[in-house]
Amino acid sequence: MQENNHIIELKYLTKYYKGSNVPAIDNISLNINKGEIYGLLGPNGAGKTTTISILCGLFGPTSGNVFIDGMEYQHSAEKIKNIIGVVPQDIALYPSLTAKENLTFFGHMYGLKGKHLKTRIEECLELFGLEKNANRRIKTFSGGMKRRINLIAGILHKPKIIYLDEPTVGVDVQSRNVILDHLRSINKEGTTIIYTSHYMEEAENFCSRVAIIDKGNILTEGKPKDLVNSKEEYIDLESIFLNITGRALRDE
Amino acid sequence: MQRLLSSIYKELLVLIRDKAGLAILFIMPLVLILIMTVIQDATFRTVKEVNISMILVNNDKDSLGEAISEGLYASEFFQIVEEIDEKEITEEMAKELVAKGDYKLGIIIPERATDAIRGNVNALINKSFKSFNIAGVKKRTKKSTIDVTIFIDPATSQSFKNMVMSSLKEFTSQLEIEMFFKNFSEALTQLMPDQKPIKFESFETIKYKEVYASTTNDEILPNSVQHNVPAWTMFAMFFIVLPLAGNIIKERDDGSAFRLKTMPGSFITVMFSKIFVFLSVSFLQFILMLLVGVYIMPTLGLPQLEIGPHKIALGVMAIASGLAATGYGVAIGTIATTHEQAATFGAVSIIIFAALGGIWVPVYVMPHAVKIISQFSPLHWGLNGFYDIFLRGGDLWVIAAEAGKLLIFFALMLFIAIVYNNYNKTK
Repeated sequence: MQENNHIIELKYLTKYYKGSNVPAIDNISLNINKGEIYGLLGPNGAGKTTTISILCGLFGPTSGNVFIDGMEYQHSAEKIKNIIGVVPQDIALYPSLTAKENLTFFGHMYGLKGKHLKTRIEECLELFGLEKNANRRIKTFSGGMKRRINLIAGILHKPKIIYLDEPTVGVDVQSRNVILDHLRSINKEGTTIIYTSHYMEEAENFCSRVAIIDKGNILTEGKPKDLVNSKEEYIDLESIFLNITGRALRDE
Repeated sequence: MQRLLSSIYKELLVLIRDKAGLAILFIMPLVLILIMTVIQDATFRTVKEVNISMILVNNDKDSLGEAISEGLYASEFFQIVEEIDEKEITEEMAKELVAKGDYKLGIIIPERATDAIRGNVNALINKSFKSFNIAGVKKRTKKSTIDVTIFIDPATSQSFKNMVMSSLKEFTSQLEIEMFFKNFSEALTQLMPDQKPIKFESFETIKYKEVYASTTNDEILPNSVQHNVPAWTMFAMFFIVLPLAGNIIKERDDGSAFRLKTMPGSFITVMFSKIFVFLSVSFLQFILMLLVGVYIMPTLGLPQLEIGPHKIALGVMAIASGLAATGYGVAIGTIATTHEQAATFGAVSIIIFAALGGIWVPVYVMPHAVKIISQFSPLHWGLNGFYDIFLRGGDLWVIAAEAGKLLIFFALMLFIAIVYNNYNKTK
């Protein structure tokens, strides 16, 4: 299995939620290589969150297998959790704690401690332009600042894989650029990034490969440029997305 | 270990920074215990200490009327009202005043009530001395009855009503005995003229000595504080369920719980840190409530709480009760999906547990089926354990069974929370 460069392998993955006879994801298989920025794109209810949740170990699939760095959650959940970092779409922080207190707590939960943790927190806060706000409580932060701290909490322990669920939603252009620039630099250091977004332009520029999924199936997969060049009528990733998922409105 | 310590520190920070929540957590139980003890103090006081307004309409104006009137005035338990605006109260007025709730009771002694007793006494003596044909003894043989009407406010408690009835029956019986003895003595004197009349005396040969049973030689006098402080402390400690369940749900709603679930070894660590912090809070609540019993209650005219010599047993009971309460909070917080669910279910279930546990009404007066159910209330175990210490002078061995049940309840609640959390992963 580890002869290849795949850090994540999904094999024939299917998930039915209890009480539903429609699969949230239906027999999907995909491989993500080490060092990739892989975009999972799709309309609401396509199966992105279900796939990410399974990759994070929140729950298991109904059938199929997930290999993370060659390990499976059934046997090595703790080891896998040590090498992944999750940046949820919600601001998953404690509003009454300061930025530093939040990061210290999450750092400790990842097993970081002492001077190493302190240095790492200072380094990250500086990197994301938040060093002056380290001792301010999160509830006093702007939306963009909260997003940046939310991101730092997921990358503090230098994970091998980062799952980013809509990391730039609701933030200003400046914050978005800071976030994406630093994610690129983290990626250059060898971290694999799995990313979901509704911003097609952002995904086209940011991802090395994307998969467009809908109704639990992968409709297309490849490098954004290759996908755009695959048909004459495709202008950009958004035109592909609309072409293959349709223009009908989607509910959650 | 570092994860646990860091998680405890985080919980402490979150708790300390919620100033309003913290104030509620500590002030409300103290207010509850003070108010409930003051209110319930009346039911524990001796008869003389309470004064309840009552109407007396004495239409008899004879021995029975006098005996009842004197007895009621002498008891000092009642404030007797016979006139309003210098006008004698009639039976109709009494009924109306009691119906309006102005007075708890109205006693109407009818005309010729004493005559009725007298007639019955004479009839009995006549029957006894029939063959002697004594001139003074009236020839009446028919037994008559007469009703003393008691108007009762429907809101009056059964126990109070029973106490008044019992007092009235005692006054009547006393009068009947005295009359019988007097007439009997007169009849004897007629039969044996040399015999001097005998004066009625109450011997009080049998005296009642109250001794509070205790497993030790420490004599702790039961009073409102000894009863109420442990009862309401137990009740207040269980209300920690609400902020704890709320804390778990808030963490889930904020998204922090999601992040924690993706981190190594989180659920158990997070839960234990919450249990530790909230257990500490409930222990502090317990100590504060004891201090209120010892230092504040005497300043309000209440008896002082006697903690007794078994402080280790007290500590064990406090920790066991705190663990049971926090375990219950963890289970509710894990299973409930909204704050509303947790708050409603948590509060109502604690009140049910408290009612079954005997916080308001002693378990021994409950119907048989409820008595059986009450054995499954953690508040019943806690209350029994505290009563063992505060009223019966029980030590560690005496409370071991109750503390054990509370610890098993804690383990069961934690098990339910873990199983439910794992079940959610399979959804």
